[in-house]
Amino acid sequence: MSTRLIGASADSVEAATAPLRALDLPPRPRNRARNGLAIAAFALFTIATCVPAIGGIEVDLGALVRNWSNGSGLLVQLIQPDFSFLPRTLEPILETLQMALVGAAAAALVSVPLTLWAAAPTNPNGVTRHAVRTVINVLRAVPDLVYATVLVAMIGVGALPGLVTLFLFNVGVVVKLVSEAIDSGDHAYMEAGRAAGGSQLQINRATALPQSWPLFANQWLYALELNVRISAILGIVGAGGIGRLLDERRAFYAYDDVAIIVLEILVVVVLIELVSTTLRRRLV
Amino acid sequence: MNARTAPPLPPSRPSRTAASLWAIVVGGVVIAATVGLRIDWSELGDVPGDVLRYSTLMFADPNWERLPRALFEMWRSISMAWIGAILCVIVSIPLGMLAAGNVGPSWVRLPLRVVFAIIRAVPEVIIALLLLTVTGLTPFTGALALGIAGIGTQGKWVYETIESAQEGASEAVRAAGGSTAEVARWALWPAVAPALMSFALYRFEINIRTSAVLGLVGAGGVGSMLANYTNFREWDTVGMLLIVVVVVTMIMDAISGAIRRRITGGPRITEKRSRHVVGIR
Amino acid sequence: MRSAPQRPEAEVTPSASGSWSIRLDDVSVTYPNGTTALRNVSLDIAPGEMVSIVGLSGSGKSTLIRTINGLVPVTSGTVAVGPHTVNGMRGRRLRSLRGHIGMIFQGFNLADRTDVYRNVLVGRFAHTPIYRSLLGITTAHDRELALRSLDSVGILDKVWTRAGQLSGGQKQRVAIARALTQEPSVMLADEPVASLDPPTAHAVMNDLRRVNAEKGLTVLVNIHLMDLARMYTTRMIGLRDGRLVYDGPAAEAAESDFEQIYGRPIQPDDRLGS
Ligand SMILES: Nc1ncnc2c1ncn2[C@@H]1O[C@H](COP(=O)(O)OP(=O)(O)OP(=O)(O)O)[C@@H](O)[C@H]1O
Ligand SMILES: [Mg+2]
Repeated sequence: MSTRLIGASADSVEAATAPLRALDLPPRPRNRARNGLAIAAFALFTIATCVPAIGGIEVDLGALVRNWSNGSGLLVQLIQPDFSFLPRTLEPILETLQMALVGAAAAALVSVPLTLWAAAPTNPNGVTRHAVRTVINVLRAVPDLVYATVLVAMIGVGALPGLVTLFLFNVGVVVKLVSEAIDSGDHAYMEAGRAAGGSQLQINRATALPQSWPLFANQWLYALELNVRISAILGIVGAGGIGRLLDERRAFYAYDDVAIIVLEILVVVVLIELVSTTLRRRLV
Repeated sequence: MNARTAPPLPPSRPSRTAASLWAIVVGGVVIAATVGLRIDWSELGDVPGDVLRYSTLMFADPNWERLPRALFEMWRSISMAWIGAILCVIVSIPLGMLAAGNVGPSWVRLPLRVVFAIIRAVPEVIIALLLLTVTGLTPFTGALALGIAGIGTQGKWVYETIESAQEGASEAVRAAGGSTAEVARWALWPAVAPALMSFALYRFEINIRTSAVLGLVGAGGVGSMLANYTNFREWDTVGMLLIVVVVVTMIMDAISGAIRRRITGGPRITEKRSRHVVGIR
Repeated sequence: MRSAPQRPEAEVTPSASGSWSIRLDDVSVTYPNGTTALRNVSLDIAPGEMVSIVGLSGSGKSTLIRTINGLVPVTSGTVAVGPHTVNGMRGRRLRSLRGHIGMIFQGFNLADRTDVYRNVLVGRFAHTPIYRSLLGITTAHDRELALRSLDSVGILDKVWTRAGQLSGGQKQRVAIARALTQEPSVMLADEPVASLDPPTAHAVMNDLRRVNAEKGLTVLVNIHLMDLARMYTTRMIGLRDGRLVYDGPAAEAAESDFEQIYGRPIQPDDRLGS
């Protein structure tokens, strides 16, 4: 690469100092066809998303304007929070936080062996590695609230389906991100373990694990942050936490109460992020 | 140093009390939170059994008769996600540019960043939900809500990308006598365009998931269908729907991810990194 | 700086369980991607010898050294170390054989976030039941070996330091201590000084020579610097394009021999100097 660059600049210097010789230009690469195709594909896709007959959405600005005149009053309420509602929100928000924390902690425990299983340097066996990865990818393809909806139907309304949702979701996030980080890292130290006659398990435990610990801690904190946001909405489908109250007040069009809840979620999310950022800075 | 036969004395091991204390504190908080949850923990043991039983109901013999309808609804969710992503990108690129350091004046930049931060802090689903109550529950308003709810994160990505790209190339254009517009066109845009396009696609991937969630609360699409059949307890249809969601989402992720890699990294380099680096030069 | 303290040879230092010979018979290695790195190399090294392998980058030095502990499987031919035949060995038996072969790497290959102590204990893997490694339990014997090895390379005071915070020379000494902790019968070193500055390079080479002299350990070291090869080793093996092209006493190797191994005139880069 670098030698080619040097060669190229030498050529151009030569060309500059010998202006009389006809320039021997390499053919200019033509991207027109490719770019045209890309633009056409983009346009086609966009048009297809606007054809109601095949499931695309119907762009109806008129309905929007009509609804807006009905609904704008609610938005006015939204900027006038009713603080007398605050006490009723405290217990659900606490439940939200508890669910977030417990889900993240349980997932943290399970994520360690699964991650080492899913990363190439820590698991040279391709078959088991791909098995774990496939399961994780399937796990991640299901949106969080979809889990919660199905789980609520399976095991009943309450915090438990919410907790299981958070757990599954966190395991997916942590295992995927950390195992990819391990994959892309440098693992010379493992070769030393192998040369000393260590088994993969020993190498993982004694070197790979301490070495990847900051990666894990980072993602655990990230999972906790995500959890606070998710557990705030889990209640919408009946899986515990503040979301249920939010959905209830919304259904009554009590937007002044909704404003309080949203404000509270905002504060909690920002606080958790502050804590998490502080902790993360201390991880070296 | 003379010959010695006694074992060598290592320096004393550094104390680990602080670390242990932290571990105890964190463990205590987690246990307290676990106990505080109003969950009948004896039910936890039933969960795997329940999940297994219902999974058999769902996946042993999925109801493929409703597949056409499911694909129709899935396409509706994807459409919401796509239109939402386009709206989001159209709004967030100019706003994000204004919010980037050195581009916009600070009286524009700071309020914009605060707005982005607030939108970011509130879960997207909640923002979308609130907007939907105001605008009515249709796929179009769903797309709109997705577009607005994503602005917080998208705008932040835009200004961070622009800020990280500014130095070298812009300076070169300015040194050659370029105006601000020329700097934007010939230094900033080439530097940030791939990243911005890649972020736009990433927004689409996120939206696919969020649009399914908006469906659950009635905005239409595969989420609505799933919510309905879950209420009807028609498990074989639910199973089929879940398979459709997973497969289609993974396919969309794969396509979008491949395009993103093409955009940001050019063609993928398959050659393995050489393991031994230094040698005789 | 290494004014090698004279020690009674008894059980003071980790002693080798006897030194081993190394024998390669018509060994060829072709990597899965089709690169042939070694071509019909035959070699016989007696117990206690100190041998250097020289050659250009890509000539197959690392490959040769890695066949000896089975990190690279041979495509044909046989590799024997002491009483064992390496090729064909797998799993538990290969691991326990590796436990007798110490190895030092150019890039040190330490776990940077782990303290020196735990890094050195990696050398006890082959002698530790897996449940012990999992729980992180060490025996008094292992601890003693680790500390003595660190002491013998003069960095016992760094035992609780994170490996990432050491200088290059210190890291390489930790790596040597790690290999010594294995109580090896053969010591392999793959470009152990290539990432070090000249004085540190000499110090590390001295450590290796001392290991060879004091414990009578067979030492095989890859070097691409001709003066170091001459100064510290007794026998030199030249590789060129995967073929063995030189085998003789290191001290007598002339410039012309190096030019023949390298296939080009000697350059200033080929010497460490200082
Ligand atoms: N893991 C591998 N897969 C494929 N080819 C390899 C691998 N390792 C080394 N090679 C190739 O085998 C040949 C010999 O490599 P080797 O690492 O043994 O050389 P070397 O003499 O140690 O070089 P250096 O001085 O650069 O370390 C080279 O052509 C190299 O590209
Ligand atoms: Mg090498």
